[in-house]
Amino acid sequence: MTATIEDARIDPEEIRDSAQRLLADMVDRRAGWEARPDGAAALDQAMRELGWYQLIAAEAEGGLGQRFDVLAPIYEELGRSLAPVWLSGTMATIDALYATVSAAAEQLVAAVLENGWRMAVVTLAPGQSLAAASAPMVGGAPDATHFLVIGDGEAPPLLVAADAPGVSVTEVTSWDLGRSYGAVEFSDVRNVLFRLEGDDVLPVVRAHSELALACDSIGGASQCLSETVDYMLGRQQFGRPIASFQALKHRAADHKVAIELARSLVSHASRQFAVRGDGWAVLSAQARILACEAYAAMAEDCVQLFGGVGFTWEYDAHLFLKRALVNQIIGGSPDDLRDRIVGDVCQRAQTARL
Amino acid sequence: MTDNDQLSGLRTEIRDWLAHNLPADWRDRQGGDNTAGFLAMQREWFTKLVEGGYATPHWPKEWPGGGRSLAEQIVMFEELARGGAPRMSLFFVSLYHAAMTLIECGTDAQRARHLPAILKGEVWCQGFSEPGAGSDLAALRTRAERRGDRYIVSGQKIWSTLGHFADQCLLLVRTDSSGAKQAGITFLLMDMKSKGIDVRPIRQITGDEEFAEIFLDEVEIPVENLVGQENEGWKVAQVTLSSERGLTLVELTERMALSLWRLVDAATQGTGDTGMLDRSVARSLVDISARIEAMRAMLATLMANRMAGREAVGDASILKLAYSRLSRDFTALGLRLQSFAAMRDTRYVLGAGYETGNWMFDFLNSYQYNIAGGSNEIQRNIVSERVLQMPREKLG
Ligand SMILES: Cc1cc2nc3c(=O)[nH]c(=O)nc-3n(C[C@H](O)[C@H](O)[C@H](O)COP(=O)(O)OP(=O)(O)OC[C@H]3O[C@@H](n4cnc5c(N)ncnc54)[C@H](O)[C@@H]3O)c2cc1C
Repeated sequence: MTATIEDARIDPEEIRDSAQRLLADMVDRRAGWEARPDGAAALDQAMRELGWYQLIAAEAEGGLGQRFDVLAPIYEELGRSLAPVWLSGTMATIDALYATVSAAAEQLVAAVLENGWRMAVVTLAPGQSLAAASAPMVGGAPDATHFLVIGDGEAPPLLVAADAPGVSVTEVTSWDLGRSYGAVEFSDVRNVLFRLEGDDVLPVVRAHSELALACDSIGGASQCLSETVDYMLGRQQFGRPIASFQALKHRAADHKVAIELARSLVSHASRQFAVRGDGWAVLSAQARILACEAYAAMAEDCVQLFGGVGFTWEYDAHLFLKRALVNQIIGGSPDDLRDRIVGDVCQRAQTARL
Repeated sequence: MTDNDQLSGLRTEIRDWLAHNLPADWRDRQGGDNTAGFLAMQREWFTKLVEGGYATPHWPKEWPGGGRSLAEQIVMFEELARGGAPRMSLFFVSLYHAAMTLIECGTDAQRARHLPAILKGEVWCQGFSEPGAGSDLAALRTRAERRGDRYIVSGQKIWSTLGHFADQCLLLVRTDSSGAKQAGITFLLMDMKSKGIDVRPIRQITGDEEFAEIFLDEVEIPVENLVGQENEGWKVAQVTLSSERGLTLVELTERMALSLWRLVDAATQGTGDTGMLDRSVARSLVDISARIEAMRAMLATLMANRMAGREAVGDASILKLAYSRLSRDFTALGLRLQSFAAMRDTRYVLGAGYETGNWMFDFLNSYQYNIAGGSNEIQRNIVSERVLQMPREKLG
């Protein structure tokens, strides 16, 4: 039995390979910045044809029965290519549906795959509910057919159709012009498509969303570092490449260390989450904190290391910077994450005491 | 610094003057994606400042508004900042870089031609940097060849602040490539309407078009536009680069101190209720306020030293580095506090200092202090090598 399950496992590195090929082909990372069509719909279609949306759904629902470990490289490559699409809302919803205790959830997964529904996760502020709420910046909201609404309390996450009465979505022009964002408002929304009951549902939505952003950030940070190093090797001042100045080399080295450290935690957290192994909920939040911090620091320094051209619209340094800064706060700021997990962190520390 | 009676008199005078002259709606008029409004408001305000005698305190006393002490100049910048007046962005290079270069190194004819014109609103830009010569400015390659009574100039300048609005340009060119790279540089004044000039604005990281590229194709510049001697332009350029004598930092620091309330506002979601402040935010606010006060204090000390003729090597670099790092951290804190609002609202007000109300804009904009006019890294080289006397890295 075990052998067959393991045989059916897709090698994450194969997925990475095919993601790299697809994205190299289809992503024009400056599209949104130059007011060109962003190709998000075509890319989404290609992702669907490649079966990415099926990956973690069960075979009974027409899925491929995989785990989070095959999504991690996809998220990372999306980040590296500065892709215009949001995959994680839909995937986190599928993941969460399997964490519910209801059989109806499986039918919903089948419907998501069949109808090509696209989900965005809306995080309500304390005190808000479907009766009255506004979320100022939700990734992927303009293209979402449904919202998975989560709060900070005990209430189960709710699935709401984007066209339900009382739901309104306004496209938001953010500084990150490479991806779509929307402001979502709820006013007296009564039509709830599904209540996702179950102890693990909220933690699963969160962990999946945090890890998707963490992977995206690792991909973006690595790409940013590699383009920065290339620029430093090519740019000559004082008769030599600026890459030969020790003060600059050491900064690049520090970024490399921060990125690799974060990458290690992201991989570990992704594996733990994939098998719901020990500590997955805390690890995924920790992974996002480190990965987003490494990305923001890298991208901030990238602008400085490029000098005058870093201060322009024409060069790509700011694409990374603006995305890194949004990655850091979307769906919850680093401080929100810290506050959320500090209790668990302390408890684990006390339990592990010698 | 404590004022004597004369300085406090000046403060009162400027406050009164501002009360009568500052257009209350200047932010709306020069803000947003509105170049015409920016130019019109800047010109209107500049004219008022010149009339009031507050535009040229640093000029010699034979010029209108001139002959003020450095202490008075500082008071003026402080009061204009405190009164919420717009910054003089469009005319800054004219009033400082161009005017001071002409006053110290120009000919009588050049001064007679340009200083009155500057008072009437002639806009200048600085054409020093080139694609291949940024930190290593002396590597510049724009060629000037003398033919009779003209120089024929070809090459490319880049990053010229407001170059696309300029009437005149302070231009560094190469007239000799045989010796040390600093030795063959010449300083010229270039009329931006000359034939062969193509100016293209460059879009900045903020989306704003605030600097420009200048392409020069056989541009003719009369020899009387030479400043100083041929091949001795490097010395003149140093005068240009130190012409604002730290006053920009006085102004910017004052404006930052006066914008601290915006951080409190963002931290309290506009309620002003500091009792509810998050602890870690509260501590960050204290740290930033301490650094702003320190910056003010250091400026006061170093400006006083400067007035007393006791300026030390590297002082300017220490100030610039301290300020540029502070500007990054100050705006980064605003970004953290304003959160989503900073990510979405892209409204900005040109020339408003830290008053655009959008912390992402201010954060991105703060890179200019960290890159332009000698980057942080170059300032660190100066502090370590010239102040701390560490050995130099081998440079080409
Ligand atoms: C907003 C803005 C306005 C400007 N306005 C003007 C203007 O009006 N007129 C004008 O002439 N110029 C202007 N400049 C140009 C500015 O002075 C240059 O951008 C600056 O000198 C840096 O040069 P660079 O861009 O070529 O970067 P580079 O010199 O290529 O630097 C790239 C990176 O290498 C680092 N580096 C370079 N040399 C060393 C070294 N020896 N040791 C360690 N690190 C090093 C730099 O610090 C930077 O991080 C402006 C620039 C900006 C951003």
